[in-house]
Amino acid sequence: MRTSLKFALLLTPVLALAQQTVAPTADEATGPARGENAGSYNIVQSWELGYRFATIGGDDGKYRSDVNYGNGIRLLSSFLTVNSRDGHGHWFDEITLTTQGLGNDPYESATLRIQKNRLYRYDMLWRSNDYFNPGLTVANGEHLEDTTFRTQDHELTLLPQNWFRVRAGYSRTTQSGPALTTEQEFDSLGDVFPLFRDLREQYNEYRLGADVTLKGFRFSVMHRWEYFKEDTTDNLTATLQGTSVPFGGGPTDPSSLSTFSRAQPYRGRTPAWLANLYAERKWLAVNGRFTYAGGRGDFIQNETAIGIDRFGSSQNQQIIVTGNGDRPVVTGDLNITVFPSSRISVINVTSISNTRITGNNEYEQFSNATLSAQDLNFQFLGVRLITNATDLRYRLSKRLSFFGGFRYSDRLIQSTEDLATPGSPFDGTSAQQTNILRSGVAGFNWMPIKDLTIHAEGGIGRNNNPFTPVSLRNNSLINTRAQYRKRTYSLTAGYQENYNNNSISITAYSSHARTWNGDVSWHAKSWLTLDTSYSKLHLDTAGGLAFFAGTPRATLMTTPESIYVSNIHSGNLGARMPITKRADIYIGYNITKDTGDGRASLAVQPTAIAQVFYNVQTFPLTYQTPLVRLSVQITPKLRYNVGYQYYGYHEDFGVLGYNQSYRANTGYTSLLWSF
Amino acid sequence: MGPHKFWTWTCALALPLLVLVLVRAQATPKTPNHYVGSETCKTCHPDVNLNFYKNPHYKSIASGKEPPEKTGCEGCHGPGGDHVAARGGKATIGAFSNFTAQQTLDTCLGCHSKDMSRAGIRNSPHTEADVVCTSCHSIHKPATPKFLLAKQQKDLCYTCHASERAQFNMPSKHRVNEGVIQCTDCHNPHGSVTASATNSGNMGANSAMLAPAFDNEEPCLKCHVDKRGPFVFEHASVRVEGCEGCHVPHGSTNAKMLKRPVVFTLCLECHNGAGTFGRQNTGVFTTPSTHNMLDPKYQQCTLCHVRIHGSNSDPTFLR
Repeated sequence: MRTSLKFALLLTPVLALAQQTVAPTADEATGPARGENAGSYNIVQSWELGYRFATIGGDDGKYRSDVNYGNGIRLLSSFLTVNSRDGHGHWFDEITLTTQGLGNDPYESATLRIQKNRLYRYDMLWRSNDYFNPGLTVANGEHLEDTTFRTQDHELTLLPQNWFRVRAGYSRTTQSGPALTTEQEFDSLGDVFPLFRDLREQYNEYRLGADVTLKGFRFSVMHRWEYFKEDTTDNLTATLQGTSVPFGGGPTDPSSLSTFSRAQPYRGRTPAWLANLYAERKWLAVNGRFTYAGGRGDFIQNETAIGIDRFGSSQNQQIIVTGNGDRPVVTGDLNITVFPSSRISVINVTSISNTRITGNNEYEQFSNATLSAQDLNFQFLGVRLITNATDLRYRLSKRLSFFGGFRYSDRLIQSTEDLATPGSPFDGTSAQQTNILRSGVAGFNWMPIKDLTIHAEGGIGRNNNPFTPVSLRNNSLINTRAQYRKRTYSLTAGYQENYNNNSISITAYSSHARTWNGDVSWHAKSWLTLDTSYSKLHLDTAGGLAFFAGTPRATLMTTPESIYVSNIHSGNLGARMPITKRADIYIGYNITKDTGDGRASLAVQPTAIAQVFYNVQTFPLTYQTPLVRLSVQITPKLRYNVGYQYYGYHEDFGVLGYNQSYRANTGYTSLLWSF
Repeated sequence: MGPHKFWTWTCALALPLLVLVLVRAQATPKTPNHYVGSETCKTCHPDVNLNFYKNPHYKSIASGKEPPEKTGCEGCHGPGGDHVAARGGKATIGAFSNFTAQQTLDTCLGCHSKDMSRAGIRNSPHTEADVVCTSCHSIHKPATPKFLLAKQQKDLCYTCHASERAQFNMPSKHRVNEGVIQCTDCHNPHGSVTASATNSGNMGANSAMLAPAFDNEEPCLKCHVDKRGPFVFEHASVRVEGCEGCHVPHGSTNAKMLKRPVVFTLCLECHNGAGTFGRQNTGVFTTPSTHNMLDPKYQQCTLCHVRIHGSNSDPTFLR
């Protein structure tokens, strides 16, 4: 027992090797013998309780958006397994519980599995994420979010090893908390007003299904009931003079908002069916899948706004909107795999999906409670997609295999849009289009010498009618990887390339993405390990533009182009080594450095509009996070841990006038008790 | 042909065949391999046996009802008679280290093929690249009790997907390294069951082994349920081309995991009125002449178009 404990305690820091945040990771459980026996069960557990601290300098909002660790006592991690030693426990044969960050870490989670062999299996997953985003570069800081996202999932399987089994499940997702949003009232050219938002969203899903296995066929069926509701409200807390953005309405704009309230309750539900049939024989495997989901959402919006418009006139406006949206979705997939010989596999997948989104609303706007305008809106968007993919694999020898495939997709998009007033005829704008994609891929897997594997593939695709100017039209890809893997170390190198050219007569869009990466892992001893990797991600895109700009009057401009260049170097290092018989240390370092297009500063451009686009062509920054963790064995069952991690974020130029650089010192101390 | 001739010809053909069979039987005196049971294996492999009761595969032993080819050590490694007779050796037993990728896959799928989550494994990019079961799962030395993974899930995926590792280390990212999200929340490492990947209309140039929602929707919508709709006014590109039109799903140096550091270039690259793009085949409409791009307000499109993922009230997503 003493030997196994020592082994287990030695192993614990090893498992922390690849962690990129100063936090414990889940302990191992089913490897070497450990734990204590109680009756017919074996129990393994570990609990790590500690204090986490953080001091932040610079832009606190950006730190909270990226990292968000704070101060306080935490159950940093816990792990518990109870296993029946003979597989015939009375109520259960296995309990596995893991937790992380409980006690107010921004990232908390818990998993639980309880099962009794052949009778039932229950799995639970619970997660909580505190999300903060100042929204500076996307909404001038007026879309701030400080919300909590929680999700839980429960799955119960009865008779899990039987020919007939029953599955039931429940999932719940909520997001709530304070936020800011914006509203433009009275006039589309006036000021924008920031509003307080009480965000409340809730999603519940119930599932019930069964699997039947008969004569080598497995048939599964499941029904799902899904409900979504949103009760978010937007309110004004004080009279506002508009946003701080100095242009447009700007300081001379007299717009103000003295009263505002908005409620927009939404109720959505999606009952759905899934059926699946699977069979596998020596030379054939078939899987057929069918789903139907009938989504529907009902809503109402009531908005009241009182204030002054940009011409100085008093406004008293109420907007009421009611309506609903429907989205029935049908999908079918058929996978057929044929094995004509032990060397050849032919796989064919045919998929079809049909989505029909119809929505209508009645939009009523009252001004000063005397005049009213009413609109009736209707929209339809239908997407029908048929895809067929065929792949062929041929194994020439134990060390060399080839593969190739062809994919054909036919997509039909139908659209109808109508905006009318009551009594007027329905004369919506309708259109339909067909997109056809043909793509092919070919490659090989080669093992030239023992332990060295080389994978290479290349592909090409052609889309005759892409949906947007940035969609794939003429694209090609290359993907290669070589890995040399021994018991104690591995060396990996890879290269990926993805080009797309969506050129048309008026504007053009092209995108070149290239990625190089290398990785070295060395696990010489359980107490001496090294893991290091480097990646370079290059992206350059150029897209044609057409927009209005200029002073005193805006005119249509088709220059400059939208150019974006990023050259991201990403390095990762982790090493663990002993410093005494009872203590070991882990050192890690991460760096993400975007060198952009190589410019040292923002040069002055000949025109104001050229300057606007020049400033956002690249976004050089450095983000680095060195960390160190010391673990000292106090007794065979108790360890003391201390960890420190620095977060440094530095923007070279900032974007839109904001520089959100920050630096943060974070860490924790903890006691880990395990047996 | 009379009965006499029939029997003459039958004997003439069958006799040489019978002789041939007897000769071959004499020439190959080898006895067929046979099952010896897990208790026998324990004799030489006590380290493997010691903790095997914690292994999910122990269920087959505990039940005591499974046939020898589907239980215990020999359920995966094949009959051990020859292995025992030869006093060990990898050549006499089904050793996974000697298996080809296809052999490993076939052996594991003998029991594990029938779950829906693995129905697409034959056509998955992993299988295509010879990444099969034992590349990720360690049956006897797992790092996780659930799913018997060889390492913690993210570390396992990072072993090959280094560029994704780089993206998850960026400032704006899904919290995989922080442990609140896992790769399998969005991807099915065993392969997607659908060639089209999502019903949002993604044309399937690369399925990326997505784990779609129940009705083949993009996996993003499993968590971001508020973006799901249905909306009266869908932002068509979201529904047709998917979230990746604007976002980098793993991580980015840009806020909100956007593909560009600012919103207006992202929007204007599509809204340029050119070509036959868009839902009416007339190009994605340009911004109106009132939107002077020199005005900082109009450089932050979502300041006014707050419901950019879809709206129930306004066709231009203003409320």
